[in-house]
Amino acid sequence: MNNTQFVGEHLWPGQLGHFFVIVSFVAALLSAWSYFMAAREEQLPTGGKRWLAMGRVGFATHSFSVVAIFGALFYIITNHLFEYHYAWEHSSLDMPMEYLLSCFWEGQQGSFMLWTFWHAVLGLIVMRTAGAYESRTMAVISVVQVALTTMILGLYLGDSIKIGSTPFMLSRHAMQEAPIFASPNYLEMLTDGNGLNILLQNYWMVIHPPILFLGFALTLIPFAYCIAALWKGDYKGFVKPTLVWSLAGGAILGLGIMMGGAWAYESLNFGGYWAWDPVENASLVPWLTLIAGMHTLLVYRSTNRAFTLTFVLLLLTHLLIWYSTFLTRTGILGKTSVHAFTGDGTALTYHLLTVIGVLLLWSVVQLVVRWKQLPRVPSEEDILSREFWMFVGSVILFLSSVEIAITTSIPVWAPLAKWISGKDFAPPTDPMAHYNNIQVWVAIIIGLLSATVLYMKYKKSDSKTLAKRLGIVALISGVFTALIAWGQDITTWQYVLMLFSACFGIVANIGYGVAVQKTKFSKLGASVSHLGFAAMLLGILLSSYNKHAISLNTTGMPFDFKKSTTEENIRENMENVIMFRGIPVAMGQYMATYIGDSEVHSKDRRIYYRVAFEKRDTVTKTVTERFMLYPDAFINPKGQQGLSANPSTKHYWNQDIFTYINSATDKTKSDTAGYRKYNVAKTGDTVFLSTGYMVFGGFTNQISDPRYEAKEGDLAVKAQLAVYDAAGHKTDIAPIYVLRDRQYIMQIDDTVQSMGLYTRFAALQVHSKDSASLEIQVKQTNPMDDFIVLKALVFPYINVLWLGVIVMVLGFCISMVAAIKAKAAKDKRSGVADGYAISLQEADGEQ
Amino acid sequence: MKKTQIVLLIVIMAAIAGLISIFGDFSSYETFASASKEPGKSYYIIGTLDTSKAMQYDPRVDANHFTFYANDKAGSNTKVVFNGEKPRDIEKSEQIVMMGYMKEGTFHCSRIQMKCPSKYKKDQIAVGKG
Repeated sequence: MNNTQFVGEHLWPGQLGHFFVIVSFVAALLSAWSYFMAAREEQLPTGGKRWLAMGRVGFATHSFSVVAIFGALFYIITNHLFEYHYAWEHSSLDMPMEYLLSCFWEGQQGSFMLWTFWHAVLGLIVMRTAGAYESRTMAVISVVQVALTTMILGLYLGDSIKIGSTPFMLSRHAMQEAPIFASPNYLEMLTDGNGLNILLQNYWMVIHPPILFLGFALTLIPFAYCIAALWKGDYKGFVKPTLVWSLAGGAILGLGIMMGGAWAYESLNFGGYWAWDPVENASLVPWLTLIAGMHTLLVYRSTNRAFTLTFVLLLLTHLLIWYSTFLTRTGILGKTSVHAFTGDGTALTYHLLTVIGVLLLWSVVQLVVRWKQLPRVPSEEDILSREFWMFVGSVILFLSSVEIAITTSIPVWAPLAKWISGKDFAPPTDPMAHYNNIQVWVAIIIGLLSATVLYMKYKKSDSKTLAKRLGIVALISGVFTALIAWGQDITTWQYVLMLFSACFGIVANIGYGVAVQKTKFSKLGASVSHLGFAAMLLGILLSSYNKHAISLNTTGMPFDFKKSTTEENIRENMENVIMFRGIPVAMGQYMATYIGDSEVHSKDRRIYYRVAFEKRDTVTKTVTERFMLYPDAFINPKGQQGLSANPSTKHYWNQDIFTYINSATDKTKSDTAGYRKYNVAKTGDTVFLSTGYMVFGGFTNQISDPRYEAKEGDLAVKAQLAVYDAAGHKTDIAPIYVLRDRQYIMQIDDTVQSMGLYTRFAALQVHSKDSASLEIQVKQTNPMDDFIVLKALVFPYINVLWLGVIVMVLGFCISMVAAIKAKAAKDKRSGVADGYAISLQEADGEQ
Repeated sequence: MKKTQIVLLIVIMAAIAGLISIFGDFSSYETFASASKEPGKSYYIIGTLDTSKAMQYDPRVDANHFTFYANDKAGSNTKVVFNGEKPRDIEKSEQIVMMGYMKEGTFHCSRIQMKCPSKYKKDQIAVGKG
């Protein structure tokens, strides 16, 4: 580095931020060490109280520093300090406030910070509530925080080893090779940032990442409790807090994943809410193991069985969150994912692998050390017991997650497989079908089990009551299945089975909640969340089975494809339709017309395309429904070629019509039409246009037009023109001709947007006192030059899916509240803050 | 054997069957030459865009038809037909992963993934229609 003095840099926010990064790291380290010592000295007369106090101070300091780091980075971003690379790379001046927030999570360091932040918040709650488990759970949490803060440490050991990358990196350090940084006043040239990826400029992107990361963070707490339970050798006390935290995690992580789906549905144009993309899978897999672990924990609570599986699943869940970070952040998925972030190189790969390795080793060692004394029940469970089928269900959820993990991880294990077998493994050519074909069975079985287990009792169920109740449910749901399958034309047998499973789930869970539990709120958790799950299955099935394109390229096309017969198949399947401005195209039950674009050339170059949909009565031909859709696109975003589109959707209660632009004319390039001259003199003179005509209605010097500001010495004349389009609709326009100071001429044009018509009052010739002629120049863009390529899809009953998600999350919340209340009641009774003794009678959702 | 063991055995058997079937589903990375040994079967091919030959795309004739030439890793040059709109920035890609099948010496491609040279640009995927 040379000693150039740079002008105008604000170095203090970065230095302050970096200072707090170091403080948060050291404080986490201190906290971890103190809590370790507190756990070790628990048996001593002092009870490790001093260490405990020190651990608390350490963690509080850590948490405060994490907030301070956020504050510093937020200051940098909101004040557009582009001398910082993070601000330059992820933000720009024109971004509104809410997107400045999204900048945080677009970048790698920001996401790690968000994750650290949630851990800190949850850690503070655990610190206050964990009681006898505090020292051990907090030791685990602090160790994880140490690992996370190293991610943003930006520490160099020598020239080659780099630990973490700091969010406070200066632009001139990050991009040293750029010549601009040679000049001391480079900031005068670095006027605007790179801006946020336009796909992320969506309100879902403001709220989805914080929720998802909270979900990720929530998996840490069950992990910490499991390690703590093994470490302490106490296999009872951890059950309730672990259950509460797992329920919270299941709710929030599930919500976060589906919000990601909603974002994809609303702003990406792959035409759906779920694509089995590696990034989506990476968060689905831990959710599945978390749900499985939560259920085996319930089994353990009531029967003492399934202890080992519970621990394996809950420990694995948090490890899988780290693994998913590894998959999505290191660029290892490069070949297979749209989302995959360009990696931070090998440094991050090894860094993450080290963290995963340490946490995995810790989990395994704890399990192995305690292996012999882990609670086990020698006897067999009854085949008609709730615990047995919950166990089976959890195993199936786990297997489902294994399948998803194996396929998603192909780029991870492919090099090894190639070394062994010589085959260069690639993902399935049709990933959607690959996952769907396997997961449909998981959906069917889980749907049936989630409904059936509630009707069973722990230990042993009465087979007659069970058969009777389930028989009634099966009968009712069979009728529903037949009706829906017939109405929706569902014929593939696997999907008929899935439909039955979903109907069965809905009927059984409603029946159970109302008839058996008598809608007693505190017990409704399981049936409500299972009902939500069943509704999700139904929504997924209905919206994807009959999802279809209505923008088929088959009717009303003014041109010939001239294709050979071999390609006719492709042509059949074409789902894009080209729409020229003003020419209606049939789409399903609708006639759709591209009316024009928004002409509002905002800074971000987003253009809205106006597409009118009309539905006519088949007999009377009168319009029964009319609506507009505004799919939008950025033409040549950030200097790139092409366009980036956002869909526009018409929502009905029973279906969505989903449209997006695939291609459009770039007006800045295609506007090649020239002006034509016409002379008009008398009122009634007519000019014929390519679509419609224009009638001259005289001229006047009485001008009240906001576009014209009168000035002393002006000679201003307005031509009155009536424009009739092909359908006979009349539009009045008035171009203005101004002679200012007898020296120069101004022309104020007038336009008819819907016809692409531009008129200019070009010249005025005065022949006598009451005779004058005008030169009117007319330009009309050729409608053939203004077109969009549109895709329109129909998603039937997609609202059932969203409703199902909400109901499921609600069910988790009810269970969570019930579990917390049960805990509080127990605490009161026993009078001991941490006496979470459990009783076998108190099964959730007793009959 | 106890009933519970039988049920668990069924689950394990189903899991093994499932595992075998998913491995059968996996594709592989091939070259134009090895892909033409089985015409009509879909593979992935990693290659680069041949910028010396002309690309053809006219959305006014067919919005879902884009042809170009590509070199695979073995260096062989083949015409590629992509049944979708022309992926933006394909000219700037330094590597493309194409998914499709060989037929009569032409590679029919329904998915293209582009690797961009710039650190500041995300990789992109273009998916064909039908």
